[in-house]
Amino acid sequence: MIEVRDLVKTFRLTRRQRREEGWPKDVREIRAVEGVSFTCRPGRIFTLLGPNGAGKTTVLRIIATLMEPDSGSISVCGFDTVEQPGNVRARIGFLTGSTRLYDRLTVSELIRYYADLHGMEADHYRKRRDELFDMLDMHEIAGRRIGKLSTGMKQKVSIVRTVIHDPEVMIFDEPTVGLDVITSRSIIELIHSCKERGRTVIFSTHIMSEVSRLSDDLAILHRGRLLYNDTYESFTGGMKTPSVEEEFVRVLVGEVEE
Amino acid sequence: MLVVLPMLMFPVLIGLTSSFIASHEARAHERTMTVAVFMQGNRPGFADFLEGSESVQILPVEDLDEARELVRSDSLDAVIVFEEDFDRVVRDLGTGGVELCIKLTEDSEIERGRLLDALSAYGDTLREERFRSLDLEVSVCQVLEVDTVNMATVRERFADVAGGILPYMFVIFCFMGAMYPAIDLAAGEKERGTLETLLTSPVNRMQILVGKVGVVILTGITSAAVSFVGLYAGVRYMGSIPPELFHLLLSILRPGTVLFLLTLLLPLTVFFASLLLSLSFTARSYKEAQSKLGPLMPVIIIPAFIGMLPGIGFNALTAVIPVLNVTLATKQVIAGHADPLLIGLVYASLVLYAALGLFICSRVFSRESVIFGS
Repeated sequence: MIEVRDLVKTFRLTRRQRREEGWPKDVREIRAVEGVSFTCRPGRIFTLLGPNGAGKTTVLRIIATLMEPDSGSISVCGFDTVEQPGNVRARIGFLTGSTRLYDRLTVSELIRYYADLHGMEADHYRKRRDELFDMLDMHEIAGRRIGKLSTGMKQKVSIVRTVIHDPEVMIFDEPTVGLDVITSRSIIELIHSCKERGRTVIFSTHIMSEVSRLSDDLAILHRGRLLYNDTYESFTGGMKTPSVEEEFVRVLVGEVEE
Repeated sequence: MLVVLPMLMFPVLIGLTSSFIASHEARAHERTMTVAVFMQGNRPGFADFLEGSESVQILPVEDLDEARELVRSDSLDAVIVFEEDFDRVVRDLGTGGVELCIKLTEDSEIERGRLLDALSAYGDTLREERFRSLDLEVSVCQVLEVDTVNMATVRERFADVAGGILPYMFVIFCFMGAMYPAIDLAAGEKERGTLETLLTSPVNRMQILVGKVGVVILTGITSAAVSFVGLYAGVRYMGSIPPELFHLLLSILRPGTVLFLLTLLLPLTVFFASLLLSLSFTARSYKEAQSKLGPLMPVIIIPAFIGMLPGIGFNALTAVIPVLNVTLATKQVIAGHADPLLIGLVYASLVLYAALGLFICSRVFSRESVIFGS
């Protein structure tokens, strides 16, 4: 379970950011997230939908304790992300579209490294590793260096690294961006299996087909503010346009015009 | 690379340099020189004198200008020209002039020395003749002879030179050994995105930082330590070092001195590691970190180099300047007269710098804008 309440996050702009990103000189800070609240429940997939720069990654990073909010609170499995970050991190898995691996390690070494970081017992680790290697057909590459693997294989390693400690909460930050169809499919399957096992799943995306395939609950985020937050069923039931994509654009444009 | 390079550096450097110098000197001494001698109507004393030497061949060249041209075109090593009334001037108790025409380069220095020695020996025979003709002893014109007795021990004399070079080399290796891991563990991890995966593990941020600082310190110290091994192996097994210097070097590379230098290097490496990691964290990529950290090298080299210069005193001020204090303290220890108060000040200041560096590094690592800044 993830409970987000009145989340606010501001970034102070550096001189270099103002210069490189073309911000006016008098703009000193930007409000990345403003008063965001939502709840993700176990056994359901919560989709955070929004265009680039909407604040999705910032929200997910705050949930994962990588950042601290300016105000508001987040509770993950009953633990506060600011007060008890260690307890939160022990219960989450965080996966993005980029693989983020150490090329010089072998697959086994890398997985063992992350299992150690999570303090897993040797027996538990071996059982869990074998289970995941079976599921993703990875036994053959266990001894190979990660730098020598294909992108698809690397993404599989990334998945195992993320779920080796069997987290209660899975956070997916645009997990299929830049991946081929086959690899994207394995990620989608992983998200489904997490749901089936009763895990809390939150994933961010701007790909409409994924929204339709996966969402139980949906939140639309734009310029740091939540424009919609309800079940996906309610969203499709109340659509004023023929497709999800057009309805998404309608919601965004409506907000811009306001 | 960080282990192999410092380990091999000294043996290869010492071995190659000493064998090259030795073979160059041997060649220069053994080579038969071609020389033209113009006595200009004087008695052929010097030409006869040279004829006896096996390693000098006198070429019969008639014209002086032609001979000089041959020297310029490297067909002749040297031309020796006696002034026209050399015999008369010498006979009249004057000083006869001799011109030595030679191409002066670093390579020809030994050849020039050989010819000057020959001319000097010839001059000695003329001087003896002159004194005999005047019925005098040669020693009559020497009224004063100063014999300087160097009261410094060999150890003290060596401390001035090697006492500075040793810490200089090891500080540089220590810094270099720490630099590349620091780049990889901070900017490299940021660029790969692996830092984010580490930060989402249950290990807290400070533990991660301690791990990174620890690795950087370890590689820095290891790099310095293996360069010790390399230097020892170089001195012990390679090259032809004069026996006195050889035994002295071995006595300086004894465990006590090495341990002392390592204990100085430890807090200095902590300071380096903190400084390097702090800067590396602020870089967005491995390349940017390299360009940020590269200019630090002269900042380290300059105080280490100043410490090698003569006349730089070891006092309360220089004892608190990082790097310089390590060089000066090591010089004192090698010379065998270390001031315990100043050495204590060196340790205290290094520990303080290390603590300050760690504090700054932890502050940098806790800033979101640094870790996630783009």
